[in-house]
Amino acid sequence: MTNRLEIQDLWVSHDGQMILKGVTLTLPLGEVHALMGPNGAGKSTLGKVIAGDPTYQVEKGRILLDGEEITDLSPDERARKGLFLAFQYPVEVPGVQVANFLRLALKERLGQEPPITEFYARLKEAIELLDWDEAVLSRYLNEGFSGGEKKKNEILQLMVLRPRYAILDETDSGLDIDALKVVARGVNSMRGPAFSALVITHYQRLLNYIVPDVVHVMMNGRVVKTGGPELALELEKRGYDWLKEEVAGA
Amino acid sequence: MIDVLPTNPEELAARLSEPGWLKEARTGAQAVFEAVPWPTRKTEEWRYAAGRLKEVPFELPLALPRGRRLSRDQLPAGVKRRLAEAELAGFLVFVGADLVYAELPEELKAKGVVFTSLHQALAEHPERVEANLYKAIPARQKGDANDKLPALAAALWTHGVFLYVPAGVEIGGPLGVFHVAEPGELAIGRTLVLLDDHAQAAYIEEHLSEKPGAAVHLGMTELFLRPGARLAHANVQTLNPESHRLYRQRAVLEKDAALNDLMVNLGARFARAEVGSELVGPGADSEMLGVYFAAGDQHHDHHTLQHHVAPHAKSDVYYKGTAKDRGTIVYQGLIKLEPTAQKTDAYQTNRNLLLSREASVESVPQLEIAANDVRCSHGSSIAPIDEEQLFYLATRGIGRKGAENLLVAAFLEDVLGRIALKNLAAYLARVIEEKVRG
Repeated sequence: MTNRLEIQDLWVSHDGQMILKGVTLTLPLGEVHALMGPNGAGKSTLGKVIAGDPTYQVEKGRILLDGEEITDLSPDERARKGLFLAFQYPVEVPGVQVANFLRLALKERLGQEPPITEFYARLKEAIELLDWDEAVLSRYLNEGFSGGEKKKNEILQLMVLRPRYAILDETDSGLDIDALKVVARGVNSMRGPAFSALVITHYQRLLNYIVPDVVHVMMNGRVVKTGGPELALELEKRGYDWLKEEVAGA
Repeated sequence: MIDVLPTNPEELAARLSEPGWLKEARTGAQAVFEAVPWPTRKTEEWRYAAGRLKEVPFELPLALPRGRRLSRDQLPAGVKRRLAEAELAGFLVFVGADLVYAELPEELKAKGVVFTSLHQALAEHPERVEANLYKAIPARQKGDANDKLPALAAALWTHGVFLYVPAGVEIGGPLGVFHVAEPGELAIGRTLVLLDDHAQAAYIEEHLSEKPGAAVHLGMTELFLRPGARLAHANVQTLNPESHRLYRQRAVLEKDAALNDLMVNLGARFARAEVGSELVGPGADSEMLGVYFAAGDQHHDHHTLQHHVAPHAKSDVYYKGTAKDRGTIVYQGLIKLEPTAQKTDAYQTNRNLLLSREASVESVPQLEIAANDVRCSHGSSIAPIDEEQLFYLATRGIGRKGAENLLVAAFLEDVLGRIALKNLAAYLARVIEEKVRG
């Protein structure tokens, strides 16, 4: 069994425009990878396409989860196979309480009603770790949440649903340093041999708290460089221009 | 469509041993029926439903009482299921035009509560029936096509319910009436509810099918709330998808009377409900809720009327529902304020959620205001299910059906939450869930 998420030569269009132009990337289970790059590089598109966003068109290439091709699966089938996307802009769902929603989601993933005590134990643990209040559980999903609360709620879901492969799409954007630390604490608590994450971010800042094993850089719809954590620091110091030149020169 | 009554109303009155005044009322209604035309597309109130009305098999034989009685054990399975969870204080069961079973605690009878068939009431409380029957829904009201069905119903009703709650009496639990439709019959029923001063009651009427096959049900419900009376009222139809249901309801609310009303359309091929409240006393309060779900080829048609005559009264219509497949929904509502209706608060809201591209909705709220010192508002919306929400839920592992179910439940949560009868709200949530998944 090949325990990894693999993107092979992925070409993706949206409204007739090619956004991903041959992305290849491998995320082995148990590792945390950062995906960096300038605005418009296609990072968020890649996250959404891996999750199965139906508004994007896969033109070429494959996505494999543990060796099984998932390119044509529906988003909920992918999720039930262990994939999770933390949204850059979490969607408000009025009328649906956080706790009820999570119980249903867990039920769909497990194929049966989760044991009630275990479910609440998971919730409680996550809420405490995120410095949150149980009152959030009876609120409607993301409705009236501040930007920071929405991001925290994505991590709450991550911790309760316990996917094997998580994509965090700019979870750090719009967070102050305290909120950033809380979110990082949540993600770090998940780390281990049975969890991996693709952390999409613009900034090095988050990577001080979630230290990646590998850093990928995307530009113009492709992964142009892969390196260790030091690559993120270099980008922080020097920006992306040098890399653009390097890619152009290659 | 029929042009002459299939049964002679005088013979019907004789067969049902009715008093002279009622026989006359029936023949009077016959004259109205024969004088007014059937509604067509040109009839404003029937613009979206005239086509479906044409398909209604009015030529089916009229359901007549046949003297059937059942023991509690013999009651239809669907009724027994509802009884097991409805926690009713008393109930009546009709199969076709027969009242087959009745149960009312002695304690309520001792307090003077009357809960029985209309014909039984005609025998035992003739003056109360005569003083009120046809008063809220006369055979002739507008003198046009809108009178066709009320006239037919007034001329040929064969069975019905009478509820009387004396002054000051409060009934703890809800009273229930179950009408089990018989396929192949035209059933015409009436309900008359009378709450005396400061009486309090809850009343649920459910129309259901035990068997497949087309049936037609034509029903008229008159509700009289004397000063200070409080009534929670619900009319729920879950008929089989071949059946047709035509329903009109009028409530008359006197001073400080309060109505919490609920109209539920989940079944039938064609269901039309005309629900109105007349606010004739100051301080009267009419909350009118509606829940519906049209699937397959169902057509659910709703009309509400908030007619304010007295000053300082309040009415609030909140109708919400969903359509999927090729289901169609119509909502037409009118807030009508007479010049005497100063200081009125009247609100009207209709919201619709569509689960498919083929489903459709017409929503037409209307105001007709002849008073100047009032607060009125109306609004309507039609929205498809939110694809972003579906995708978000899907990324958590919740498939399309589950997500639709969650979003429909969320959409209907506030209207279900306003139903005074909590037990009923929980039952409806379950039926709706089955419909989303079905």
